Amino acid sequence: MPDKSNIAADDEKLIEATLQGDISSFGIIVERYWDMVIAFALSRINNATDAEDIAQESFLKAYSQLHRLRNPSRFAGWLSKITVQQCVNHIRKNAHKRIASSYTTYDVDASAQAVAFNSNPGLTDEQICFVRQTVSRLPEKFHKVIIMRFVAGLSAVQIAKQLGKRHGTVRVWLHRAYQILRKDLVSLFEEVK
Amino acid sequence: MSCEKYNELIEKYLNADIEDTELDELKEHSLQCASCHKKFEHIGRFEDIVKSAFSSATTAGQASDSILSKLPATRVVSDPAAMFSKQMAVAASIFLAVGLLSGYGLARLNADKQIAVPTTAKVPMKVARLEGTVLVKHQNSDLWYPLMPASGIYVGDTFHSTAKSAFVLELEDKSTIELNQNSMLVLRLYNGGTQFHLEHGKLAAALESPHPPFFVSTPHGRVEALGTEFTVTVE
Repeated sequence: MPDKSNIAADDEKLIEATLQGDISSFGIIVERYWDMVIAFALSRINNATDAEDIAQESFLKAYSQLHRLRNPSRFAGWLSKITVQQCVNHIRKNAHKRIASSYTTYDVDASAQAVAFNSNPGLTDEQICFVRQTVSRLPEKFHKVIIMRFVAGLSAVQIAKQLGKRHGTVRVWLHRAYQILRKDLVSLFEEVK
Repeated sequence: MSCEKYNELIEKYLNADIEDTELDELKEHSLQCASCHKKFEHIGRFEDIVKSAFSSATTAGQASDSILSKLPATRVVSDPAAMFSKQMAVAASIFLAVGLLSGYGLARLNADKQIAVPTTAKVPMKVARLEGTVLVKHQNSDLWYPLMPASGIYVGDTFHSTAKSAFVLELEDKSTIELNQNSMLVLRLYNGGTQFHLEHGKLAAALESPHPPFFVSTPHGRVEALGTEFTVTVE
């Protein structure tokens, strides 16, 4: 990961190189934002395999649309929108199969069965689903900054740049989102102490 | 002990805006202050929990390899028809209009589909800012392709900014020419220099002072810049 203040500039260089045919530069972009894209997908789709497919489709879509990106320093923000749209498309496409999940239909018990992977032995499948469900219920802007900060590891300054918002605004969003989750996840903190 | 300062550092830590020296200071303080230690430690645990809950069995490296293997071998810049699914219709209609206006024959539609190599001289200008999709066509070429931030600018180039797009050309003396959306600009050779011809749309120029005589031609006549900033609109 490049220096904190230079990540947007580094994204720009990688995108420019990709547009000029250097595919390996896009590989670096994928590595940088894979966790973030997976997190956005998992917060809407409660099936791990489907979420991975959506994450891959999101990167492929981003690659094919890269020339349309107006401001390369906002790549992560743009990519998150693509991922959300891919999730919406997936949910619509599969609505008839009743496998779609949404903020209101996220069933913890059912979801626990659908968690195909759990990389953290410290959390049970039920706990993972509970966290995903709680984070997903946040307002969109709070949800986005939490994923970008705690999964992608971006700072408030970087998130502000990526979303085209003021630094102060992102700081307030992060603070509020953290306070909400701290309260909502209090039982989990007690369990995993 | 006043924890006001350390509360600010904890907030900076939450925002990942904290400097290394500040983090060391916070860690040291948290060893002595139970209240700050609890807040500081909670953020770390929270991060671990969120990361774990949203983690993937596929590592970023594996994902990268998998995605790269699915990409087309080359980017589609050499084939605008594939690159611009929607914009192609716009580009095609503009191409037809320009072709008709400048006497191009329809036979030229069958020209080679590779990116045209400019046959005219490069001009000392660069793309200073680019938003959205701006198409460019070199002189004696029928092919439109996307303007890139590092693209060279040549005499005879025609630029078309699509909807919600714009770009700024920076001249050698740092003067700037901004082309708004849905506009078409042609760089014409005139009296040994480059003349800006606004075919349609809107152009905004910000010239360095003093500047030599500066004209923008339009289908309705020529406009001369008397000051340093002006706009030209061709309906």
